[in-house]
Amino acid sequence: MSESLKIGLLSFAHVHAAGYAMLLQEREDVTLLAADPDQADSAPGEVRGKTLADQLGVSYVDTYDELFAWGPDAVVICSENSRHRELVERAAAAGVHVLCEKPLATSVEDAEAMVAACEQAGVSLMTAYPVRFHPAFRALRERIRAGGLGTVLSASGTNNGQIPIAARRWFADPVLAGGGSLMDHTVHLADLLDDLLDARAVSVYAQSNRIVHPEVDVETGGLVVVTYADGTVATIDCSWNRPASYLTWGGLTLNVEGSAGSVSFDAFGQAVTGYDDTDGKAISVGYGANLDALMVEEFISAVREGRRPQPDGEVGLRTVQIVMAGYESARTGQPVAI
Amino acid sequence: MKSPLAVGVVGAGGIAGPHTAAWRALGADITIYSIDGNAPALAERVGGRAVDSLDELIDAGEIIDVCTPTPVHHEIVQAAVTAGRHVVCEKPLARTHEQGAAIVEAAEAAGVQLYPGQVVRFFPEYAAAKAAVDAGRVGTPATLRFSRRGAAPQMPWFHDVEASGGILVDQMIHDMDFARWIAGDVVRVFARVTGGEGAPTTAYAVLTHENGALSHVTGGWSHPNTVFRTTFSVAGSSGLLEYDSLGKAPLDWDVAESGSEGGSLLPAMDFAESPFLTELREFATAFAGGPAPRVSAADGLAALDIGLAALESARTGRAVAPKEIAR
Repeated sequence: MSESLKIGLLSFAHVHAAGYAMLLQEREDVTLLAADPDQADSAPGEVRGKTLADQLGVSYVDTYDELFAWGPDAVVICSENSRHRELVERAAAAGVHVLCEKPLATSVEDAEAMVAACEQAGVSLMTAYPVRFHPAFRALRERIRAGGLGTVLSASGTNNGQIPIAARRWFADPVLAGGGSLMDHTVHLADLLDDLLDARAVSVYAQSNRIVHPEVDVETGGLVVVTYADGTVATIDCSWNRPASYLTWGGLTLNVEGSAGSVSFDAFGQAVTGYDDTDGKAISVGYGANLDALMVEEFISAVREGRRPQPDGEVGLRTVQIVMAGYESARTGQPVAI
Repeated sequence: MKSPLAVGVVGAGGIAGPHTAAWRALGADITIYSIDGNAPALAERVGGRAVDSLDELIDAGEIIDVCTPTPVHHEIVQAAVTAGRHVVCEKPLARTHEQGAAIVEAAEAAGVQLYPGQVVRFFPEYAAAKAAVDAGRVGTPATLRFSRRGAAPQMPWFHDVEASGGILVDQMIHDMDFARWIAGDVVRVFARVTGGEGAPTTAYAVLTHENGALSHVTGGWSHPNTVFRTTFSVAGSSGLLEYDSLGKAPLDWDVAESGSEGGSLLPAMDFAESPFLTELREFATAFAGGPAPRVSAADGLAALDIGLAALESARTGRAVAPKEIAR
């Protein structure tokens, strides 16, 4: 492996792509090359491709063929959710390590195939769950793991945000995104719970609606109840229900109840709030650790050290299983076993 | 109606305190009957009179206020309405749907009024949220969250599911009723109860309203030092309302000497009218021929059905429709 790690950024479809590009570009131990060939589905006004690469100062090629011909050590995949599989399989076939945006896939079958492809090719598959790297979550996890809450009995989390279609329309495309808020906002909390709990999810109940932004073709509101093998119960509110006038895009919270007490985590609680007449609204200025940077650091060091990065493809798969069981439950009105 | 208002309070436990205080503020002539032996002490405290039998109480009161444990609500309400008395009954209206439906029918048949003590509708912060939603401030409610947590009740019957329905029916019925008031009838309920038996009890219920809105209700009965806290949020098609009882209070003391004058955070409610007073005044006005209160006996029965559906869901692991309970 060369001194400088060659990382390919595949697609600018996801809203996080530009952020990852800037983080990777800043690193002296990384050489970055991006390709964003599939722009046919982007809405007018969405900045993609060479235009975005130039704005970010990132080297760019027009096709994935050129990018893989360059011989990357690893790739970061930011395509639309349903296009993750083809790119992960291609990377695996090329013997390239993968950091894939969440959700890992839009079906359990796709997620299983992606995990298997990387396993067989002997490359790492990491799922982009940056909240796991929050120092406060790490502290929460450490103390709970040390018995600080006694036995964990239940948890409830919220991942509520504005509908993310202003920057990227495909987030509300039933095929490209695989669904709406249930697909987009269940998995971060499902991942934190996977990391926190020893037991695996065995049953999922979910209900969804489309009262906020009824003009889109996917659900915008959702409540999910996950039951784990040891009886632990967790609820996840995945709704895209923050109004346009809300002071940020949204947030993520997790409350954990144990036999000896409870703890509440607010992933975006570190913020100075105020008012800005030039925007005509309340503002929030966040501070604290850059979670994306910590996640990218884990990916790069794992690749360099030849170890499996966490969160891996398996947890990506397990969280997709929860989402898909949630869709089935919302359809039938009854809990669905995993 | 006689003057002053003649009120017979049944029970002298936890909820009888705020109720009798409110009746006294309304200038009522209070009679109290209780089988726990605490009626004389409560009567002395509120300037009322203790009596030795339910019959005596019903004879003395024009209004009967049922503040007993849940399992005997229906028989006391039945006796009171049969005697032609208007009745206030603490929530839940009854322990079972059949009991609740029977007393609602009995009150109608007797031509008297019956109101459930769904007092959360009278808490000023909840009433303000309801008014804001009615004024269109959030558009159509879409996803609603409610939480209510406090120290676990001391009396064992609260924890006896057979007697009270436990946390889902006794405590969370407050938020289930409020959710229904704001977002409409409920067609499906899924609930889970965790903890208990020495550990804090935490329960969750997901309500699906008839129009598709979803409510997430959390109830907590925790350790004795738990600061009582309620929160809610109503996210709608064009806005969001949020409330946390641990938020800003109108007064926040920080004094060097601890004592009754300060030290602890005073909840905002201390500077608003007691919701129990607001509630019982509204009921008393209706009894005297005034307008219908903001909550009806049918509302109390509908809230009970949601709570019972939650209980059945927690027992079976299935989602349950309140109308299955009412069948």
